Amino acid sequence: MGNRNSSLRAFLDGCKEGMQLFGHNIALIINTGLLLLVYLIGVGFTSIAAMIAKKHFLEMKKKKGAQESYWKDLGLKKKPLEEYYRQF
Amino acid sequence: MAEKNRKTVYILGLSCYYHDASAALLKDGVIVAAAEEERFTRKKHDSSFPINAARFCLQSGGITSNDLAYVGFYEKPFLKMERVLSQHLEMFPRSLKTFLSSIPSWVNEKLRVPKAVRKKLGYKGDILFIEHHLAHAASTFLVSPFREAAIVTVDGVGEWTTTTYGVGKGNNITLQKEIVFPHSIGLIYSTVTAYLGFSVNNSEYKVMGLAPYGNMDPRTNEYYKKLRQVVDIKDDGSYRLDMSYFRYHYGDRMPSQKFCDLLGGPVEQKDATMAKRHQDIAAGVQLLTEEIMTKILIHVRKETKQRNIVLAGGVALNSVYNGKILRKTGFKKIWIQPNASDGGTSIGVASYIYNAILGHQRNFIQKSAYLGPSYTSSQIRDFLDERKVRYSRFNSEKEMVSSVASLLNANKVVGWMQLGMEWGPRALGARSILANPCNPAAKELLNAKVKHREPFRPFAPAVCEDDALTYFDCDDPIPEPTDYMLMVYPVRKKWQKVIPSVTHVDGSGRLQTVRRDQNPRYYDLLKAFGKLSGVPILINTSFNIRGEPIVCSPYDAYKCMMGTGIDYLVMDTFLIAREDNPKDMWDSEEFAKD
Repeated sequence: MGNRNSSLRAFLDGCKEGMQLFGHNIALIINTGLLLLVYLIGVGFTSIAAMIAKKHFLEMKKKKGAQESYWKDLGLKKKPLEEYYRQF
Repeated sequence: MAEKNRKTVYILGLSCYYHDASAALLKDGVIVAAAEEERFTRKKHDSSFPINAARFCLQSGGITSNDLAYVGFYEKPFLKMERVLSQHLEMFPRSLKTFLSSIPSWVNEKLRVPKAVRKKLGYKGDILFIEHHLAHAASTFLVSPFREAAIVTVDGVGEWTTTTYGVGKGNNITLQKEIVFPHSIGLIYSTVTAYLGFSVNNSEYKVMGLAPYGNMDPRTNEYYKKLRQVVDIKDDGSYRLDMSYFRYHYGDRMPSQKFCDLLGGPVEQKDATMAKRHQDIAAGVQLLTEEIMTKILIHVRKETKQRNIVLAGGVALNSVYNGKILRKTGFKKIWIQPNASDGGTSIGVASYIYNAILGHQRNFIQKSAYLGPSYTSSQIRDFLDERKVRYSRFNSEKEMVSSVASLLNANKVVGWMQLGMEWGPRALGARSILANPCNPAAKELLNAKVKHREPFRPFAPAVCEDDALTYFDCDDPIPEPTDYMLMVYPVRKKWQKVIPSVTHVDGSGRLQTVRRDQNPRYYDLLKAFGKLSGVPILINTSFNIRGEPIVCSPYDAYKCMMGTGIDYLVMDTFLIAREDNPKDMWDSEEFAKD
């Protein structure tokens, strides 16, 4: 009886583990598919539009004319408390 | 607010989700506790939500999350997300692979910080977010001994910023200028680290240790000249990278093919043997970093007209350069946050909230790094008894110090666990492995049998602060960051052959100075060892094996000793000999990896 119970438990545990792995793999496939769509449509179209408009998101190239300094103004100092609740 | 002002103000600072997650608790502006999550989870550089570190902090303060006035987070997640999206937009379609691998973690956790804080800590109050480099700046200035100082923060990247400078006065900080991603000194260093086959955000210090084997003359080091082509450096220290040499802004590896062509070969395999060429490349990037940092600091001194400098960010852990700052830049005094990389920002955000945002005067100067978990004698005895470990106990402090000094003088390797665990990447006499620096075989023995690490890596000397100038050519007065092993100085010629195991190939040592008020037992041990050996210096290396975090608990310490060639373990006043406990012996070598 004990043996039967333990083999049944092992079988059920195996089923549970298998289902979890299956769920994980399905989620991975769906997520990858959705992310691929977002990348191709969202990022891709925006990127192509930006390219046409000559808009850059990172400062990769040197600006024309010799720059004396690459330091940028930051001016980061104490702000009102409310500003710190924001995540941006 | 009025209600909050009347009560004790507890603030919990958190940093996580990039690398080196940590938590720190401030009680009325004083640091009560701080620790990195890796020490609890035993995963090196663990970036996960620092639940164990936060629980430890709350427990140390004797409070629950309901008693917190604020929780502070070390960056602005949406600003960082903007940068990440900008990278993908700019680099489409080459960024596809990193988009697929990185975006799920953004959606699932990085943009859900408030939810995680509330769920994991059961906290219902206010959560404040400050900019990453402001957290770095606060982590160093607000706990420094200075009322006024110039501030420089340099790391890989925060939200957008990679380098800033500004001024701290009283309890306020103003960061005036910045350099933004993708231009970053930290990321150049990491690219060379990756190129040499080491792990990024982990092994940059190995490149620093390798550099002195190479040609450190900028006039003749060909790799320095080649790396100089990659970056345009202005006289004011500002710089811009030629991004065609890099892939980190879109790829999962850092150097581009053009970078490999420049340095004359492909990216090295992990654990490759470091030949002369690799040593010269390491020297080249160290020279480049030193050149940029020197120009920045000279410019900042002129601009801010300050005599004091405070530093933070991962680049501030470059102890080889730190030891040259006062001599090269004209600053008179220096302070560096002992946990200068991202781990330290939890102290920064908590201090910034208390001092700058809430406007309280500064009432705390960080004088030691023993901010982590400590264990009482009874806790240690219970552990040893439960595990049936054979041990003995010293009857007095004097007996303990003299006995351990004798063991060290007999060339035994001793694990030393006392006080609270260190805050930051360096072991400072609370979770240290100690050995005799006069023993020429000690370096080889420690590298091979204890630490299982690369043979080129040097060991650090610990010396009492009042003895340091005798043996090392330090700045005088000795800067406080030397207490945290953040400054490398030359070993005086006369002593280099006397302490070969802590004298690096270029005659330098990354010393730790010890003051008695910080760690009396450790200080007394150094003095006692000095009486026996004639040299009051010990090898101090972190109590861990390669690829593991520094030990935290008695269990971690005992396990580490039993798996390595450490001969004795001293925890509080208990002495455990490895050979007395053969049943617990194991071999850690196969687990030594990073």
